[in-house]
Amino acid sequence: MAGRVIVVTSGKGGVGKTTTVANIGTGLALRHKKVVMIDADIGLRNLDVVMGLENRIVYDLVDVAEKTCRSVSKALIKDKRLSNLFLLPAAQTRNKDALTPEQMIAIVDELKDDFDYILIDCPAGIEGGFQNAVAAASEAIVITTPEISAVRDADRIIGLLQEKEIYDPVLVLNRLRPEMVRKGDMMDVDDINDILAIKLLGIVPDDEEIIISTNKGEPAVLNAHSKAGEAFRNVVRRMEGEEVPFMSVDGEPGLFGRFLKILQGK
Amino acid sequence: MLSPASKSLRDEQLVFKGLKQGLTLFIPEKDSFLHWLEVLDRQLNQARGFFQGGTILVELGARKLAPGEMAGLKRVLAKYRMRIKAFNPLEIKRFDSSSPEQPSVPCGVLLVKQTVRSGQRLEHEGDLVVKGDLNPGGEIVATGDIIVLGALRGIAHAGARGNRQAEIVAFTLAPVQLRIAHLISRAPEERKGRQGPVVASIKGEKIVVERL
Repeated sequence: MAGRVIVVTSGKGGVGKTTTVANIGTGLALRHKKVVMIDADIGLRNLDVVMGLENRIVYDLVDVAEKTCRSVSKALIKDKRLSNLFLLPAAQTRNKDALTPEQMIAIVDELKDDFDYILIDCPAGIEGGFQNAVAAASEAIVITTPEISAVRDADRIIGLLQEKEIYDPVLVLNRLRPEMVRKGDMMDVDDINDILAIKLLGIVPDDEEIIISTNKGEPAVLNAHSKAGEAFRNVVRRMEGEEVPFMSVDGEPGLFGRFLKILQGK
Repeated sequence: MLSPASKSLRDEQLVFKGLKQGLTLFIPEKDSFLHWLEVLDRQLNQARGFFQGGTILVELGARKLAPGEMAGLKRVLAKYRMRIKAFNPLEIKRFDSSSPEQPSVPCGVLLVKQTVRSGQRLEHEGDLVVKGDLNPGGEIVATGDIIVLGALRGIAHAGARGNRQAEIVAFTLAPVQLRIAHLISRAPEERKGRQGPVVASIKGEKIVVERL
């Protein structure tokens, strides 16, 4: 089997690339897929921290590229919770020049046959680090938040992906605040789709649980009560080809809210 | 337009010429490149001091350089502290709308079937049709008319060589800037753009937008 190689990218920093990779990776693994997540953000690695695997790192991506460790599998870290989820961490003490696109392609080629999914966490920016992360990918997930600057950068990234012959990237709209959209204070899905015009893979609401789960090193997708976790579970189902309706932008009232509505006869 | 170059390139000698773009070295297409490198070295040596320490353009005509030849050329020039600014300046299509109207070479219509996104720039000699949007941060430049079959939200420059009759047509117009010939206009600071189709053209000394 040859796995799907998907890069998760955004252009702008801080919009939730790493969080998305951690959650999608974990979500896919929960569905019994064999998944490896590659942290391509050399020098600013985070994915290991978000996954709570920092203290298990021995070898990293640059060690593999430079053949310091014998094979790629030596550098893979198995997740604490799921035995079919792996992480290939970035090097922290090096910088983006420590890797070339050719090395990245070689590493991914070695992993391709053993995994269903290879998710690549792309660094922010459009320089060398981006080029490395994108080199081996055949699909892309573009992350944006409902801010004009993030959308602009996402647009630039979609153009650059085209140049790399990745023609059909899909979009995850992160950190949407339904109550702000309702009041007209935040860009809504239509505004963003108007500019980017690519297929929507998911809408993830702003959720404090994400901050808690990131700090705990436990992806929100594992938390049955997290709204963002729910949204990521839906993203994963869509990646697997299921048709899942999108969360209504009006904000889904929670169980209590729905109960209240029934009481009020609405 | 290419005549001075082709003439110099057919000549069987190395020529330095001052073009509008800058000092240009013409290397003839005939004979081996190595031969011309030797000639260049000799000439520069004789003219010691005259060309030293500048950047030049290099016109090669149809000749394609192998990586080794390129390195050789750079090495010879470096000996006289010269650097290459660009190759084949006669092919460089940087439009200069400040220059008086030039007889534009009609190259017909270019149809682009994709959205022009932030950071992308399209240039065309002739009329340009975009079947898609022009997003903020994107730029399209044509010597003739520009038609956007979608939303124009970036920068569009029609009549880039000074053609004041050029027009810009779009289905939705909410541009960052519109430019026609040497005129530049900014969209009024309203939130929603003009729902089209609309056409922008020069009336008097202003760019005016009207319903098509």
